[in-house]
Amino acid sequence: MKSNKPFLFLIFLFVLPKIYSQSDSFFYGSFETNGVYYQESESLAYDKKFASNSYLNLKYNLNNKFVFDLQTESYNPQPLQNYSDLLEDTFVSTFSINFNTNNFNITTGTIYEQFGSGVLLRTWEDRQLGINNSLLGIRTSYKKQNLSLVLLGGYQKKSNTISEGKVFGFDSEFTVYENNNTFNNLVVGLSYLGRLEAPHYVSYPFNDLTNSFSGRLDYNSDSFYSNYEYVYKSEDGIIKDEVLSETFVRSGNAHILNLGYFKSGIGLDFTFRRLENMGFYSERVEFGNPYFETTLNYLPALTKQHDYLLTNINVYQSQPNVSFQDPSIMKAGEIGFQFDAYYNFKKETLLGGKYGTKISLNISKWNNLKGSYDYQNENYDLDFLGFGVKYFSEQSLEIRKKWSENFSNIILFVNRYYNKKYVEDSFGEIDSKIIVFDNTLKLKNKKSLRFELQHLFTEDDKKNWFGYGLEYNFNFNFNAYFNSIVNYENEIAGKPTYSNFGVSYSKNANKLILSYGKQRGGLMCFGGVCRYVPEYKGLSFSIISSF
Amino acid sequence: MAKLINLNQILNMSKKLLIYLILFVPLLLLNAQKNIPNIPIETFRGTYTTMSKELNEDSFYIISFWATWCVPCINELDAINEVYDDLSKEMDFKVLAISTDDARTKRRVKPLVNGKAWKFDVLLDENHDLKRALNISGLPHTIIARKNQILHRRVGYAPGEELGLLDKLKEYEIK
Repeated sequence: MKSNKPFLFLIFLFVLPKIYSQSDSFFYGSFETNGVYYQESESLAYDKKFASNSYLNLKYNLNNKFVFDLQTESYNPQPLQNYSDLLEDTFVSTFSINFNTNNFNITTGTIYEQFGSGVLLRTWEDRQLGINNSLLGIRTSYKKQNLSLVLLGGYQKKSNTISEGKVFGFDSEFTVYENNNTFNNLVVGLSYLGRLEAPHYVSYPFNDLTNSFSGRLDYNSDSFYSNYEYVYKSEDGIIKDEVLSETFVRSGNAHILNLGYFKSGIGLDFTFRRLENMGFYSERVEFGNPYFETTLNYLPALTKQHDYLLTNINVYQSQPNVSFQDPSIMKAGEIGFQFDAYYNFKKETLLGGKYGTKISLNISKWNNLKGSYDYQNENYDLDFLGFGVKYFSEQSLEIRKKWSENFSNIILFVNRYYNKKYVEDSFGEIDSKIIVFDNTLKLKNKKSLRFELQHLFTEDDKKNWFGYGLEYNFNFNFNAYFNSIVNYENEIAGKPTYSNFGVSYSKNANKLILSYGKQRGGLMCFGGVCRYVPEYKGLSFSIISSF
Repeated sequence: MAKLINLNQILNMSKKLLIYLILFVPLLLLNAQKNIPNIPIETFRGTYTTMSKELNEDSFYIISFWATWCVPCINELDAINEVYDDLSKEMDFKVLAISTDDARTKRRVKPLVNGKAWKFDVLLDENHDLKRALNISGLPHTIIARKNQILHRRVGYAPGEELGLLDKLKEYEIK
């Protein structure tokens, strides 16, 4: 993609507005830069080095009909730790021209799209994780209230290059029944995705074209909803010992059932999911790469997404793949469920008090697929609804309580089991309990203080952790924080302590953050997708701006 | 110090940054009036609406981008919800809470909104089409609009800021 074409595109971007100067035409964009000076790093390539990732996105909206979009990214002098090595220097990362009327839309260039819940296809950008698996091609869609049709095809972005495999598909959703008096409706969805990639050198016993389908049903009423999705992926080679197997060939499938009930003050949700051999890449050999390059679908862990430092240790990552790494750890996917309940104790009741009390409960449990696994003959035979070895389970309760006009807090309890051996293909199991107190005190003149206490109790792995944090808002724009977590019972590594101090300034849609400290290494997870990050100590800055 | 940080590399990067700024800052001044793009967005019932349909009344809109896992977002919306009844008597405004929850947490949106008894409309931007179209990179991100015209944008939330937001609304109402 390093050619002059994007620059022609830029000229296009500048000249067009001069030709059409309608009042409804305008530029907008965003700029983001994240830089770190690594004072110390576990990774030698970063020790005492500076690295930064920058993103400049510009859009021009022409008369609300056309949108021209261009994103330039810069990784200078090198990308931040644990971003793909393919990200180097400055390059045009994404560009598109989009034509839009009320219902009809056509995009050429970079395409972000999701079919159903994303188990078949999701292309998206996550800068924190360094994911941008967008397609470069063409997409047309027609969407109105009761109908949605999407048709697309293209190559997949792979850092600053594109994938060898081609991808094409369609997605449709129809409202087949609707009653506006009772608020009932039934929506049906059907999708197809094809991935065409001719593997090199060997004639494999599977087709170059892999077909996948999704069918789904969505029922909604004024207090109840249910959704079921089935996904099938045709036979494809399995990656074993980091090589595309010539003999191990299986199809994949997924079942997702979701049920919910709600009325004012109460909400319940239950999700069951079974994934079998569902990893899907536009380049087969990229399977399981740590940067999620050429990944086609989105298979996040269905567990509560936590926002506190100690609750983000031992986070589950979904296990959608067939993995025969070792005769003692054989996996074919995952099966499990998640349950959520939200309840609002009204004001002026016993548990509600003067300001009301809000609670939320989450329960999740995920296991390997039960069946007989044969390492020697590369085979497995599964019980459809059998729960195999447990990967992860968690129960958590969050209580949000406002005590007075100026004081409120959040109390969170977590009870967690994490099978490190199976989830990370390493060893050990960890039972832990975590408690968090997050308190906010509003002071006079727009000032406020937030203070946080956390503790993780465990007899396993690295033993107990303690954490605390302080955040002071000088006004709505300027704030300073300090937080620290201590693995105080870890005698082997000498009580590792990770402390961070930072200031942030935000004004309108601009934010500047400056921080210094030591970051914990290990599995970092954002949005249910996890990646290993080496431990480091350094000075970081971050600028985000939307205009 | 020269050994610790490669100054050349930093200079090089600063140069590039400067070029960007010289090129693009004038563009920012060109157009003051910006609109919320009219793109399809999913409703709570799995059907589609468009932003222009949602923003069709001649009133102020507070459009808040949030997610079920974002603690400050929930704090902000809880706080707006608290003062919503009193303030909507004083002035005419609507709140649209745009959930950016993706497939991982989207199923939690409906029970959470009801469990918290929020009084405003919620739309689902599951694959971030609207978020991307508005170049939003951090949450919470709040926009004040009149019809579909953007008046003010704000990233982040500090306790008590909901009242600041409403003061902003009043400023625009006088204008």
